Amino acid sequence: MQFPENAVEVPRPQRWDEPFDPEMSDSEVAWLLTRKPFSQLDNKAFPRSAPLAAILRNDCRLRRHRPGEVIVREGDYGNSAFLVLSGNVQALLTRLPPAQLGRSSPVKLTWRQALKQLWNQSLYPESRTPADVHSQLGPRIEQADRRTTVFLQDFDGVLSDRQDLSLGPNDLFGEIAAMYRSPHVATVVAQTEAVLLEIRWQGLRLIRRDGRFSQQLEHHYRQHWLKTHLRQTPAFRYLPEDALQRVADSVRMRSFGRNEWHNDFEKTRKLPPAEQIEAEPVVASEGSHPIELVLVRAGFARVCHDYGSGHRTTAYLSKGRLFGLEEIVHNVYRPEGAPPIPLQNSLRAVGFVDTLHIPLEVVVEDLLPYIRRSELPRPLLSTRQQRTAVAPLPLPTTGRPEGEAELPTGLLEFIVQNRLNNGQQAMLIDLDRCTRCDDCVTACAKTHDGNPRFARVGPRYDRLQFAQACMHCLDPICMIGCPTGAIARDAATGTVRIHEPICVGCGTCANACPYQNIQMVEVRDQRGRFYRDQQTQFPILKATKCDMCQSQPSGPACVAACPHDALTRIDLSQVDALQDWLTQRGVPGQEAT
Amino acid sequence: MNRFLKRRCLGSSLTAVAIAILVLATWVTKQRLGHAAFLTGGTTLACVFLLILIGLRRRVPMLPLLSMSTWVQIHVYTGWFVLAAYCLHVPRLFVSGMFEGGLATLFWGCMGSGFYGLYASRRLPRKLSAVGNNEVRFEQIGWQRHAIAEAADALLQELKATPAAVVLADFYRASLQPFFLGRPSAAYVAIPNGTRRRRLLNRLGDLDRYLEDQTRQTANRYAALVRLRDDLDYQYALQFRMRVWLIVHAALSIGLLTWGCLHALLAIRFSG
Repeated sequence: MQFPENAVEVPRPQRWDEPFDPEMSDSEVAWLLTRKPFSQLDNKAFPRSAPLAAILRNDCRLRRHRPGEVIVREGDYGNSAFLVLSGNVQALLTRLPPAQLGRSSPVKLTWRQALKQLWNQSLYPESRTPADVHSQLGPRIEQADRRTTVFLQDFDGVLSDRQDLSLGPNDLFGEIAAMYRSPHVATVVAQTEAVLLEIRWQGLRLIRRDGRFSQQLEHHYRQHWLKTHLRQTPAFRYLPEDALQRVADSVRMRSFGRNEWHNDFEKTRKLPPAEQIEAEPVVASEGSHPIELVLVRAGFARVCHDYGSGHRTTAYLSKGRLFGLEEIVHNVYRPEGAPPIPLQNSLRAVGFVDTLHIPLEVVVEDLLPYIRRSELPRPLLSTRQQRTAVAPLPLPTTGRPEGEAELPTGLLEFIVQNRLNNGQQAMLIDLDRCTRCDDCVTACAKTHDGNPRFARVGPRYDRLQFAQACMHCLDPICMIGCPTGAIARDAATGTVRIHEPICVGCGTCANACPYQNIQMVEVRDQRGRFYRDQQTQFPILKATKCDMCQSQPSGPACVAACPHDALTRIDLSQVDALQDWLTQRGVPGQEAT
Repeated sequence: MNRFLKRRCLGSSLTAVAIAILVLATWVTKQRLGHAAFLTGGTTLACVFLLILIGLRRRVPMLPLLSMSTWVQIHVYTGWFVLAAYCLHVPRLFVSGMFEGGLATLFWGCMGSGFYGLYASRRLPRKLSAVGNNEVRFEQIGWQRHAIAEAADALLQELKATPAAVVLADFYRASLQPFFLGRPSAAYVAIPNGTRRRRLLNRLGDLDRYLEDQTRQTANRYAALVRLRDDLDYQYALQFRMRVWLIVHAALSIGLLTWGCLHALLAIRFSG
């Protein structure tokens, strides 16, 4: 192979060029190797390129916590599991009042208060009261071990009357949230001085190469969480306990793609769809016999089928959706003598996807009898067609039952390509109805002290524009890594909100958001003077984004203000919602191609 | 039937029923030798007041007073209804007298601008989205014009000193630079059309025989910039029109309400 003469020689980037904790020393790694569970792991389970010691050195960090320090918060998303090395931590099993964590519930303004916004607006953009800038009544925010952290006020009082679980040395927590990209189910607080080992997701995945460790994690998941996850799926809701147990026992868990998909997003979104689809890991292949039902537990998957020399997207699936049920139902209920049909589509991981695989025989015996007839998928072929069908059966080109409305492939691929299917409250503008009056932006500004929280720009597909406003994502990347938990999902509404008094302005969320929908702003007081840090004199920054006007009596002001029904907030994680919206306005599927 | 069509059917039916009731009430009043003009005039004035309220609603997006799109529907169908009420009140096109004539002119002006707004708000968005793939924000158009002019100027700087380059540079200074640096004419803003674009592109095409490969490439880039700039001006003209229309319609509406109130006071005063 010949290289051009003007090539620049650089060292090849390696997996651990940037260790999680640059200060982790050899002696600390050696000490960790003597402790459970690492002392019990089989060194041979790890490849030579990633030995256990290297994992501990590069994918882990030691954290020292003082009593009362919040380690993880209920509802937060995390990328790490925590192993208690010394001391005790307390998992608070009953919900902590949000105010204890510095989070306030949105309070609906009265009409009078709402109207006052018209004349009480500050002359300066992004002005805040001192209480908005620094938390005085909420938790204590301090620097501990060179990181910003939150301490509970009146820690003893908080713990005294609560049901909680004490975790001691060698206990592991947070692994479910880290592995399966799900919110933490409990707030964990340091009870005494405690030393914890934080294992980031990549490291945890490597450590799972050890069969015993992996089994322990899986056993723990199966015992405590699997049935809960299954119950959350509509098709499983009528299953009696014993059938659910049999389903849970038979489930095989698998992961595809990269958990940190957002790191490659900028690159992959520019790839042509054909190339992108080709690069996506295959979960189930078109044409193979449906021997298991696939349930998407986390992440996103693309449903596509071969078309010409490429693949054609027919749908995308998100958490809780099933793949292969149509074919299984068809095969089970087909008339005697009719041949079974194979999978009509392939399932591919978009970014990453965690799946649960339920074997066919369990589906037939323990699941199908408990799904209502009306909820079963329609037959892929009519009975008449089945009787006369000769193999190979004519595959529906849409990937959906015949006659069912569908979104055009181009639109589906555009949505997946731009990962807009992550949005639960995406702002969608019908440009064929939008007069560009900007009343939506003006209304947003009026309800946010003169500064709008979105811009009427964003990717466009034919007559649809996906505006650059927070989408309150299903997989909220922005919530991972917030040091104080200032960005959090509202349990009641699902809205991702920023609790400004505890926002330290680090910009982690803004940098993480793959859609650039979070802005860092310098804040000032009502007289226009910028707030500055007492010590460093650096400006005080706060993260800002769309909050769905939760405190406004009108709900989202942008939607209420649109005079021509051009703008909506829509759940793009469900294809049906977009399909319905387009059908309602008489947009035929093929028109948008 | 899609949602908008259903809504249109419902709105039209309700308006037709309301007009029928008003016609009946007017006839009954006349049969009883009552003042039917008070009924129709009062209805017209009340409807004008209702039509004006949409402007207030627009300014308080934070209150749950139905969505703006619902208000627009109420506004549109009330507009049709008020037209019927006015025709019953003033059953002729031209009205004598300065005061009454002025009021009638204002009414027709307001009506006309309203109907144009209805047409424009349905047609212009399609025209806007059909031009280019990128959305243009009105407040950024000036900046984008400037960016195009700078790009055009940069192309000229890149030209090497050849006889063909001199020809292209002369043409740029004489025809293209004024186009890139200037604002669109008032006539273009009023009725945007492709004449300028075609003229410039034709003249640029005519230069082709004097150019060689490199300058021909530059000429092609100029052609692309001309198209870009023309699309931008088209966006500007249509978006500007929508903004001006809103101001004109609002001003006429307020004038109509004020004048109408005076007319009502005078009518009550001199009704005997």
